[in-house]
Amino acid sequence: MPKTITEQNLRLLIDSLIKEGTRVIGPRRTGTITLYEPLARGEELDLNELPRRSAKEVFFPVCENILSFQRGEEGVKVTDIDPCAFPETVLIGARPCDAAAAPVLDSVFSWDYKDEFFLQRRRKTTVIGLACTTADDACFCSAVGLSPADSKGADLFLTPVREGGYLCEALTDKGKTLITSHARLFAETSAAAPLSLNEPAGVKLDLHKIKGWLDENFESPIWKEIADRCAGCGSCAFLCPACHCFDIVDEGTEAEGHRRKFWDACGFGKFTDHASGHNPRDAQPKRYRNRIMHKFKYYDDKFGQTLCTGCGRCIRWCPVGIDIKAVLEEIQKG
Amino acid sequence: MNNTAQKHDATPLVAESYYAAVTDALRTEAARLLSEGVVTAVIGYKEGRRHGTAGPAIVVDPARANELIFSAACVNNLALYLTKAKKGVAGTGKIAIVAKGCDLRALAGLMAESQIRREDLHIIGVACAGVFGSGADRREPLSAGNLAGKCRECSVGAPEGADIVIGTLPPLPELSPVEAEELARLEAMTPAERWAFWKENFARCIRCFACRQVCPFCYCEQCLCDRNRPQAVETTPRPAGNMAWHIVRAMHLAGRCAGCAECERACPMDIPLNLLNRKMARELKELYGHEAGLTPVEKGPLVIYREDDDQSFIK
Ligand code: SF4
Ligand code: SF4
Ligand code: SF4
Ligand code: SF4
Repeated sequence: MPKTITEQNLRLLIDSLIKEGTRVIGPRRTGTITLYEPLARGEELDLNELPRRSAKEVFFPVCENILSFQRGEEGVKVTDIDPCAFPETVLIGARPCDAAAAPVLDSVFSWDYKDEFFLQRRRKTTVIGLACTTADDACFCSAVGLSPADSKGADLFLTPVREGGYLCEALTDKGKTLITSHARLFAETSAAAPLSLNEPAGVKLDLHKIKGWLDENFESPIWKEIADRCAGCGSCAFLCPACHCFDIVDEGTEAEGHRRKFWDACGFGKFTDHASGHNPRDAQPKRYRNRIMHKFKYYDDKFGQTLCTGCGRCIRWCPVGIDIKAVLEEIQKG
Repeated sequence: MNNTAQKHDATPLVAESYYAAVTDALRTEAARLLSEGVVTAVIGYKEGRRHGTAGPAIVVDPARANELIFSAACVNNLALYLTKAKKGVAGTGKIAIVAKGCDLRALAGLMAESQIRREDLHIIGVACAGVFGSGADRREPLSAGNLAGKCRECSVGAPEGADIVIGTLPPLPELSPVEAEELARLEAMTPAERWAFWKENFARCIRCFACRQVCPFCYCEQCLCDRNRPQAVETTPRPAGNMAWHIVRAMHLAGRCAGCAECERACPMDIPLNLLNRKMARELKELYGHEAGLTPVEKGPLVIYREDDDQSFIK
């Protein structure tokens, strides 16, 4: 029989996980902004809006130390960070466009080089997904093969029901364990009516056709037309659940410091700036082209997946109004 | 989002017909300028796919002048596209640019810094009732409820010094200032409280540099914050580097910032950058009697040395 959980018990679930020593990350509002952040109490969970930044940072933080170094009597001592020591984590309230991005990123982070910083966090995290009732005019998950009810990437999936609370569907062993180990917080129901989820409106995308066009149009006047106005910031890439470029830098003093991994973006002019002074992507349209090519062609060529879940963040926050959905619709027309 | 006023008054500030009329006149003027060869390009705005959105557009073909629009969604300061940072996007030759009052101040500033020349520009001023705040509800017409914070206390709605001004505004209501109040609140704090306020805000910065990239005055070819040999500012988004970056930004824009608040609008982390801009502008006015972008002939006070400059800070 399907399980349900009330709003109140969902908060109690968080409290009891925290008490057991599990780190719980979920949408939390501070001032005007909601972000996926570690919760101190169940009450802090705020599921009202799509968090400003995506949930990728649970696995791929904005910035993290990957080793540290100290200069001592016997030379330089290097201390590694042990990814196995990362805490057990529950990510709660991940929308379909966020949860679905994690398995897509698994491909690149476990490809030729196994990025243990990402992969250990993935192993240690249980994802509680949330069916989405707040689609706006920037959302287009349904146009890229997902939907507000898609549970891809979730271990446990919550669907809001009319009576209040959620229908809970365990999709993996991690999800089942979460329910059985907190069984008293869940109830059994035969008749819970899921809330209607409003599908994002608008043109469906034919990703196959779009890729076909991209295969042929590395050189096309469309890139200049769309992206001359691109300001070359990192807003789109940083907010995106699927963008995953990073830079590595050593910071500190001569005596001690850290090696850090932090977000980078292909929109930045310096992204491909060579030490020689040559920059193969020497103009903004070439950088924007890379954004589209990587998401809808290169990643598909390599892993058979698309690097976009239609969350709409890059549309909402592009300071110059570049709308990736409009760009894709244009490309789809051929 | 933080420059959005509280949702209260939804009475439209101007009739939709105002924007339709301005749009018509704008298209006619742009088509004329392009077909008569007065300019080689018109930098303006075109409609976005989503309701109530618009973005920058560079039009070179007179047949496409009818893509241009003007509305409360025309938030961008287009002066950006005339700077070295966006070198060449509008092509060469005389260029026409659509400018609201606050954008015009940026143009004046860029002229003062010898970045552009008045004779290379054809300025199409638009009389402006204000623009939508970032994150505001754009499905409704422009009202006090969804107006950008900066516009509530704007004094330059009718641009001066343009080649042509399109639109005549009806009298607009006096609105209570939001930014000035916030600034007063900040100024009333102790230095320790103020430091804590900014520390908390800057801790949220992810170094996406949207603020820098949309700023007409951040046109340096080599930003100090991108330098790595030697490194001047830590590049990682952590408290120390973030604070350093924001101090660099504030100091480099002091006496230059035109107050268009584009940085704050662009910031996806809702950091109230324009508060800092306004604070610096006030300091510059008090110390040197200088206001940026009022006339295109002055050099900013921080690039000139005079013997009678205040030196009391040297201890
Ligand atoms: S490309 Fe844009 S819409 Fe697609 S997943 Fe990334 S931020 Fe969301
Ligand atoms: S597309 Fe928009 S958000 Fe992305 S780099 Fe360009 S200006 Fe920034
Ligand atoms: S500050 Fe003034 S000129 Fe600028 S957008 Fe607002 S109302 Fe218009
Ligand atoms: S736009 Fe905001 S988050 Fe991005 S670098 Fe500027 S202050 Fe930081």
